[in-house]
Amino acid sequence: MEFTREIYWNVGQGFTTLGPMYFLVLVTLSVFVYGFIRRWRVYRLGQPLNRTDHRGARLKSMLSHVLLQTKVLRVQGPGTMHALFFWSFFILFLGTILIVLQADFTDLFFDVVFLKGNFYKFFSLTLDLAGLVALCMVAGLMIRRYLLRPPGLITGRDDLIMHLLLLTILITGFLIEGARMAVTELGTPLAIWSPVGLVVAKALSGLGEEALRTLHVLIWWLHLVLALVFIALIPFTKLRHIFTTSANSFFADRGPTGKLTSINLEDETTEKFGANELDDLRWKDIFDADACTLCKRCQDRCPAYATGKPLSPMQLVTQIGATAFSNPGANLIDVTSRDVLWACTTCRACEDICPASIEHVDKIIAMRRNLVLMEGEFPGEEVMTAMEQTEVNGNPLGMGYASRGDWAESLGVKTLAEDSAVDILYFVGCYASFDKRNIAVARSFIALCQAAGLRVGILGKEEKCCGEPMRKMGNEYLYQTLAMDMIETIKGYGVSQIVTTCPHCFNTLNKDYRDFDFDIKVEHHTVFLDRLIKDGTLRINRDVFSCTYHDSCYLGRHNEIYEAPRNLIQTAGGRLTEMEKNRDQGFCCSAGGGRIMAEENIGERINVKRVQMAGATGAPQLLANCPFCLTMFEDGVKGAEIEESLRPRDIAEVLAERLVVQDTPGS
Amino acid sequence: MKTLLVAEFREGKLRVEYSQLIAFAQELGAESAMFLVGSPDELPRFDGTLYLADVNSYGEYNPAVHKQLLLDVIAKEQPETIVFHHSSYGWDLAPRIAIALKAAQISEVVAIEDGKPVVPVCNAKLRRTITSRTPQTVLTLQAGAFGMDEEPSGTPSVVQIDTDTTGTVLCSGYEAAKTEGVDLSKTEVIVSAGRGLGKPENIAMVHALAKVLRGEYGASRPVVDAGWVEHNRQIGTTGNTVTPRLYIACGISGAIQHLAGMKKSDFIVAINTDKDAPIGEVADVFVVADVKQFLPVLTEKLQNL
Amino acid sequence: MNILICIKQVPDMESKFKVNAQGNWYDRADLAWRMNEYDEYAVEQAVRLKEQVGEADLTVLCVGPDQVKETMKKALAMGCDRGVHIADNDSCMREPFAIATMIADFARDKQFDIIFTGMQSQDRGSAQVGVMIAELLNISAVTTIVEFAYDNGTISVKRELEGGSKALVTVTAPVVLTCQLGLNTPRYPTLPNIMKAKKKEMLTIAAATDEQGRQETAAFYFPQRKGGGLVLEGDPPELADKLIQLLKEKTGALA
Repeated sequence: MEFTREIYWNVGQGFTTLGPMYFLVLVTLSVFVYGFIRRWRVYRLGQPLNRTDHRGARLKSMLSHVLLQTKVLRVQGPGTMHALFFWSFFILFLGTILIVLQADFTDLFFDVVFLKGNFYKFFSLTLDLAGLVALCMVAGLMIRRYLLRPPGLITGRDDLIMHLLLLTILITGFLIEGARMAVTELGTPLAIWSPVGLVVAKALSGLGEEALRTLHVLIWWLHLVLALVFIALIPFTKLRHIFTTSANSFFADRGPTGKLTSINLEDETTEKFGANELDDLRWKDIFDADACTLCKRCQDRCPAYATGKPLSPMQLVTQIGATAFSNPGANLIDVTSRDVLWACTTCRACEDICPASIEHVDKIIAMRRNLVLMEGEFPGEEVMTAMEQTEVNGNPLGMGYASRGDWAESLGVKTLAEDSAVDILYFVGCYASFDKRNIAVARSFIALCQAAGLRVGILGKEEKCCGEPMRKMGNEYLYQTLAMDMIETIKGYGVSQIVTTCPHCFNTLNKDYRDFDFDIKVEHHTVFLDRLIKDGTLRINRDVFSCTYHDSCYLGRHNEIYEAPRNLIQTAGGRLTEMEKNRDQGFCCSAGGGRIMAEENIGERINVKRVQMAGATGAPQLLANCPFCLTMFEDGVKGAEIEESLRPRDIAEVLAERLVVQDTPGS
Repeated sequence: MKTLLVAEFREGKLRVEYSQLIAFAQELGAESAMFLVGSPDELPRFDGTLYLADVNSYGEYNPAVHKQLLLDVIAKEQPETIVFHHSSYGWDLAPRIAIALKAAQISEVVAIEDGKPVVPVCNAKLRRTITSRTPQTVLTLQAGAFGMDEEPSGTPSVVQIDTDTTGTVLCSGYEAAKTEGVDLSKTEVIVSAGRGLGKPENIAMVHALAKVLRGEYGASRPVVDAGWVEHNRQIGTTGNTVTPRLYIACGISGAIQHLAGMKKSDFIVAINTDKDAPIGEVADVFVVADVKQFLPVLTEKLQNL
Repeated sequence: MNILICIKQVPDMESKFKVNAQGNWYDRADLAWRMNEYDEYAVEQAVRLKEQVGEADLTVLCVGPDQVKETMKKALAMGCDRGVHIADNDSCMREPFAIATMIADFARDKQFDIIFTGMQSQDRGSAQVGVMIAELLNISAVTTIVEFAYDNGTISVKRELEGGSKALVTVTAPVVLTCQLGLNTPRYPTLPNIMKAKKKEMLTIAAATDEQGRQETAAFYFPQRKGGGLVLEGDPPELADKLIQLLKEKTGALA
């Protein structure tokens, strides 16, 4: 006997079934298309942006994100449940397609039946188990959402509709199967290949064939209607994420990570800068709102949200979506609110974890640009002062520009103006130039370079701020003024490599400056020193110590440099105790996004929270790779009142203490 | 040499700083007369001629009227030097007199060197000694730059003066200084608390010192972060940027944002156990001491002055 | 309404100052330049007045070498309508009276209703120029204003006095007003206004040749650092005595 089953059993495959069924399918698809066309029109309100280049690579990453659920699976628990549900539901969907394909096409027109024999057994078992997994996952996700209620999770009408629909579709599916099996398969060897169906069939078997047949036909239609309602509702509920989130994986920003779009300031016809209305945003920014599933992963990782500031990246995206679809003329800045926009540290924890490829930071920067460039508004007077200081003296601290190179005078480091024949240009940055604490880091770095026999030059008073904090605060004009100045100066000396001790300078020179015809190699000191040690140019004594290490946002998430600093710590003899939030989960020090210039006057202090995490490791040293982090931690350990037990240091300082003292060759 | 000292009367009171004018004249070794639009009931203690216009007739400050009264006295006395305070009264009236007399005006004199006035330049970073080329010279004196060791004494011989000039600038009254709230950006003396104080209870030591010095207290960011001092008193680029005459940093090591927010203060005293603390870079005086022990001693001695 | 705003370009006070070769002023090398802080309040107040009354023409004036145009551009970006640059390479050596004379000569036949300027410059700090302009033009002057209101021809201002109290003063145009810290918070120019400023009228006129000055610099030097970077060590009572002595000598705080 060939294993198979009669499709349309009991319902019939005549016109009375197929006619209404395909009519309903047609209606459903029309509603579906209509729904997305309406949304499509709203997406098109945004500014043009090309996100259909590199199609092969985009497709590949989309398939990985969707089919393999790679991004979803980065968070265990709900992510695992979602992935399992997705896979099982996807299998059920494929199974349904195969059934339709055979019944209404290959069998109908060509008498080809492929759901038979061993394949049918496998097919039956797979779908049956997939149904079970899907049912369990929906139940699990409902328990999480409605009983456990994780803090910060927003539950609305859409969630109830979605979960109930999925639940009833799955249950009715099993009832149909059970009713059919109770009449046709009970006692046959085939029944065991649908184990869940068999259980249902046994439970129903007492009803008698007549009742079972009536029940079967009713539930069959109910199941069909529910499935079609599900499809029709996709554009109108959060179910749309099936398509929008997947599509957003295709449209995702392909990097470089965290590089902002440069405004063309040469174009004199531009009268508006930044965004305060919907149509100032790019279409992707509006589409992002539709791709958001409110999974709150961004919110869970946002340092501003975690310390009681009004910013939630998720809510920001939701607000933009609500504006786009219900009040497109509204002022976006009023809708999202200034305190929200200024709170962001651009740490990119949100974008990094987002399973929907949403770009939160660009939206915030676009609105900050509008506030700064069109209104002259800042989060506070202190930021405006810092901007003015930078205009006058090239640093936000307001220190006299001519003393920028003073720290290096006694170290035998020459400025490029004095001697441009150097191996590397050390781009010192504002803090390491003027702040005594960070000058110690700069001195350590110089000592390491000198021990490696390298000729290091600096720009001295010709160096200015790279413009990063100003740019992140929205002051694109000042940033570009500084960038042009620096690029012209550096290029004038024909250096071949630049090293920075600041990840903000590094990220800016290495990514943002590339828009302006700047192609000199730039490295962060941890990467540079790691290489020097690996190739034997630099020798470090191993001397055991305990520490924890803070992945700065601009070295970590922005550049995925996690290993080089850890290699250095290991080389120096560091016993590293990781904080709970490390690497791509690292928690910002509070100073990114230009916040280094701003007063933190809402909620708890982020830096205090971070040093408390470091303190919890029990390690006596907190190693950093960034002058902003170091500055925040020096204040933070005092604010947290743990300055006796936790000492913030830069990795370069630890290495410089362990330099192998040796005679230089030839001396 | 003959000087005319221009004393001030405001808000119903003689401004006692007139003693600084006398001190200046003494240092110059000049014979002096005094000019005052004030009240006959409250005369400066001064041995010499006091040209007095009655404030009830001419107003506490009316530029055109006071200018005319003063020019009349100058015409009569023919002083080589006319000396004002560098004050809201002095810097307003002095240039009017200088223009009328076609005289050189030298502002904010802080010292006399070889008989020549010295003035600060660029927030007192530099100094300039000036020679006047006109027969008469108008000077304004920096507050507190000249002082007497003892209280002024003497009784002036009063000469009543009058004018019929009227002015175009009308002073209709005064608004008292705000007492509620604190504006550290305009405070003259700031005592600032750092983590070196050890525990929140010790903030009281800073309050006490600020009170004796008739100033305000502030704090570094970590102290504010720890909740020992309210937020609006944070000093630094991410808080208040301040420029007092005297800034006393108590147990503050000096993070860059803090330094950038207070280093324009005229005179900076740092109290810290760590001689190498960055605050030393901007301090005029660095007291190497444990602030917890030192502050009570200092405050007590100041109270007993 | 016809308004003149007189501004000065000064070195940033954080600059590394050096005495020039003649020994009579600071050397101009290695300095960062900016608008005199007090003049920024003047520009801001003028722009606010224009925003209030609608009809007003704001002329910003600056005496100095060609480089002062950079500072004037900021005033134009903040909202002034036109610039007048009195070209004078030696302006930094001129005494307040000479500068006031140049400005008064320019302003004499222009019927300015209000002339705003800073109460003093950050470098020279004489606090003379504003009042002298008024005296030379024979118009009213009110110095050190920290509040300004204009209502139908009447100008009401508050003058800052010592000790935090304020004098309430009313005056009518024409008048010179000198602006003090606290009057307002100068705006940060918006990008469209920075771009517009590049196209605004900028008239350069030659400075009248100088007459014999009324004063001259006899010496120009760095004072001894007040405490001399003094480090005091010892017992607390002894330290306290030393510190009190220093405070008496070097500051007016104990007066």
